[in-house]
Amino acid sequence: MTSSPLPAAPSMAAHPEQAFLQADGVKKHFGGVKALDGVSFSLKQGEVHALVGENGAGKSTLIKILSGVFPYDAGTIQFDGAPYCPASPHDAKASGVQVVHQEFNLLDHLSIAENISIEKMPKTRFGLLDRKEMNARARKALDAIGLTDVDVRSPVNSLGIAHRQLVEIARALQSDSRILILDEPTATLTERETRRLFEIVAAIKARGVTVVFVSHHLDEVFAICDRVTVFRNGQSIVTENISETSPEGVVRRMVGRELETSDPAEEERSALGAMALSLDNLQTRQNPKDKGVSLDLHYGEIVGIAGLVGAGRTELLRAIFGIDPARSGTLLRDGQPVHFSGPRDAIASGIGFVTEDRKDEGLILDMPIAANASLASMKAVSRSGILNFAAERELARTGGERLKLKYGRLADAVSSLSGGNQQKVVLAKWLARNPKVLLLDEPTRGVDVGAKAEIYAILKALAREGVALLVVSSEMPELMTLADRILVLAEHEIQGELARPDFSEENILKLAYGQNQTAGEQ
Amino acid sequence: MTTDTLKSAAPAREGLSLRVLMQNSGIGLALLALIIFFSVTTEHFLTPNNITNILTQITINLVLAVGMTFVILIGGIDLSVGSVMAFAAVVAGKAITMPGFGDAEAIALAIFAATMTGVLCGLFNGIASAFWSLPSFIITLGMLNIARGGALQISGAQTIYSFPFAFEEFGSAMVYGVPVVFLVALLFVLIAWFILNFTVFGRLLYGIGNNEEAVRLAGHPVFWYKVAAFTICGLTAGVAAVVYMARLNISSPIAGIGFELNAIAAVIIGGTSLSGGRGSVIGTLLGAIIIGVLANGLILYGLSDFMRQMITGVVIIVAVILDYYRARFASK
Repeated sequence: MTSSPLPAAPSMAAHPEQAFLQADGVKKHFGGVKALDGVSFSLKQGEVHALVGENGAGKSTLIKILSGVFPYDAGTIQFDGAPYCPASPHDAKASGVQVVHQEFNLLDHLSIAENISIEKMPKTRFGLLDRKEMNARARKALDAIGLTDVDVRSPVNSLGIAHRQLVEIARALQSDSRILILDEPTATLTERETRRLFEIVAAIKARGVTVVFVSHHLDEVFAICDRVTVFRNGQSIVTENISETSPEGVVRRMVGRELETSDPAEEERSALGAMALSLDNLQTRQNPKDKGVSLDLHYGEIVGIAGLVGAGRTELLRAIFGIDPARSGTLLRDGQPVHFSGPRDAIASGIGFVTEDRKDEGLILDMPIAANASLASMKAVSRSGILNFAAERELARTGGERLKLKYGRLADAVSSLSGGNQQKVVLAKWLARNPKVLLLDEPTRGVDVGAKAEIYAILKALAREGVALLVVSSEMPELMTLADRILVLAEHEIQGELARPDFSEENILKLAYGQNQTAGEQ
Repeated sequence: MTTDTLKSAAPAREGLSLRVLMQNSGIGLALLALIIFFSVTTEHFLTPNNITNILTQITINLVLAVGMTFVILIGGIDLSVGSVMAFAAVVAGKAITMPGFGDAEAIALAIFAATMTGVLCGLFNGIASAFWSLPSFIITLGMLNIARGGALQISGAQTIYSFPFAFEEFGSAMVYGVPVVFLVALLFVLIAWFILNFTVFGRLLYGIGNNEEAVRLAGHPVFWYKVAAFTICGLTAGVAAVVYMARLNISSPIAGIGFELNAIAAVIIGGTSLSGGRGSVIGTLLGAIIIGVLANGLILYGLSDFMRQMITGVVIIVAVILDYYRARFASK
């Protein structure tokens, strides 16, 4: 189904005039964070060009720059021989750059036709909405991508997710698109829908439109793309012709040469304790498949869960903790089947959950450090419902000491602390309960390097004390530092397990991108 | 580096206390300025009679505002308190005028009927808005109509009167020139202050107003806490009904129209954030006094009732604008 690629592309350097869009050394900073640190790549007319890289490698930032969401700080972008520097999304669209975003931008209650024409509604002579013309345009746009069986007057919320995606594409294409950017277009699609999308992409390409395809799925990249540009740490690493590379080669480029492996001889781990938590075919509500997740977690063990965004990692932790109770499957706690109907039950059985988003779920930012540290231990700092402030301060003080928390006064609002120290307060909140099982979701996100190392030391010490830890992280070095073994999750399924000697970013990524799976099935 | 600073973290409320103090000192200063202004520029403001007057006039609003503080602290609003007060007063009026009871029994029955009516209305508001996660604005708007209609239906749109004399006596009783009903209101302020500052329940109400999800994930039954806040607000509406009946010796089904807005105004002027999580019942006390002093002073000034209403409106708007800057200042 791969449409015949363009004649083997000659190297860009030799024929720069062939570049249709050429970016050189593009940089973008957000405060002190380098989102893009020198990106160079080019697009040719009528090609399908893949952008791949780990989460946070800079793909999304680049897309936002190309589509005019924000400007770039340094470097040059030439589009059709003229400097390209869109001031707004509207500007970008006027130059023919269209984006279909990962998250939908459709207005649910309006009709398909209204959505398609939303940027420029057709008007009658009297300045009223020209419904007939609007519907006709929508019909044309949908026909162009083969959606002939859909009524343009029906509201968008009557459509399935796949069709909404296609409507977005139709909307993007109805104006004179020259570059169509698809950001993770297949994340929510089934295999059949994905195939349909690929056919549409091939047709778009045949019309001479350049398609930029962002995907976590390398098999898709290799199925429909002509060239691929690999991103890492905000830089473009390389652009290769698909015909001249392999998925393994691309993964290697994504990880980089300096493969970060942890030192297996670093420290001997304590012997495993009894089974703390056991999942048997646990299916989260978000899991569309029939197969759930099974895993065992022992006392004194740190198990890492790796996977790409959307693999179902956070959902899994939330299901274990009883926030979004699982659809099916069993959960064993100390060998006994348990059912948590809410966080309260999970906490009562000795589980703590350091959530991914400390601002939204972990902390009460405007309240004092002490009040946050004691939030899950109200019984310990009160008697018959009346707060004992001395006990609360003591709890916060000892917790702060244990975690090397840097603060002014315990009465200060948590929002006055740095990210790393805020995260320590979240940890302190759970450690105050002496949990037997600790679930952690991205435990060091937005935390500086120093505090990171301290948090690692704390977590390892907890494991030595016999606590069972389940750590979800997008940072592979973090998992390789912390974990005794790593489970790799993709599409709500465990793709494989890596023991400490096998830890490498390459191995994790292979599993995360499903490379192993295909090899295993064959 | 931390231990030496710990001692200064002595105040019981752990920082909230300090901030609340700062917030309230602003309101307190505004109140003081108002009092001085009216004392100096009018003849009758600072007389015992007039002070008694003011205290009597603010009592009902203060009782309602105390309950409203709980609801607004969790980020909700209760538009039904004025109607619920009238509903409770009518139910209690029916009870107190039932034949065959002695004065004491009739009064006890009336107080029970009024508070239970308030509690049940509040319970409904709380459960309906918390269970379906609906905006309390809408639910209590519905309750506003239910309770008003209920009051008119039960009373046949007639005012109920001829209560026991002892009840009337209670309504007009004074202790050193301070109305007893005001002392009752003050007692409610005190109880609310204790609950909000010194109990787990109060702490978690602040928590819910700031970040409901964090409180839920820490294992607390957020649903019941929210229901409790609305129920307390309903209870105070019932208590306000008792005060109203004792003061006026009637139960009118059209009593309390617009009282919810005065109660909300007292809470907001008192520095409690409409988005929840920040504020204090002491602020509410000061807010209610400011509204009362302003109303009284402007009348002494010879301004018409209409002008007075306009100025009260301006004060509410100024108060929320100040709150905007206070929030920005606090977040820095």
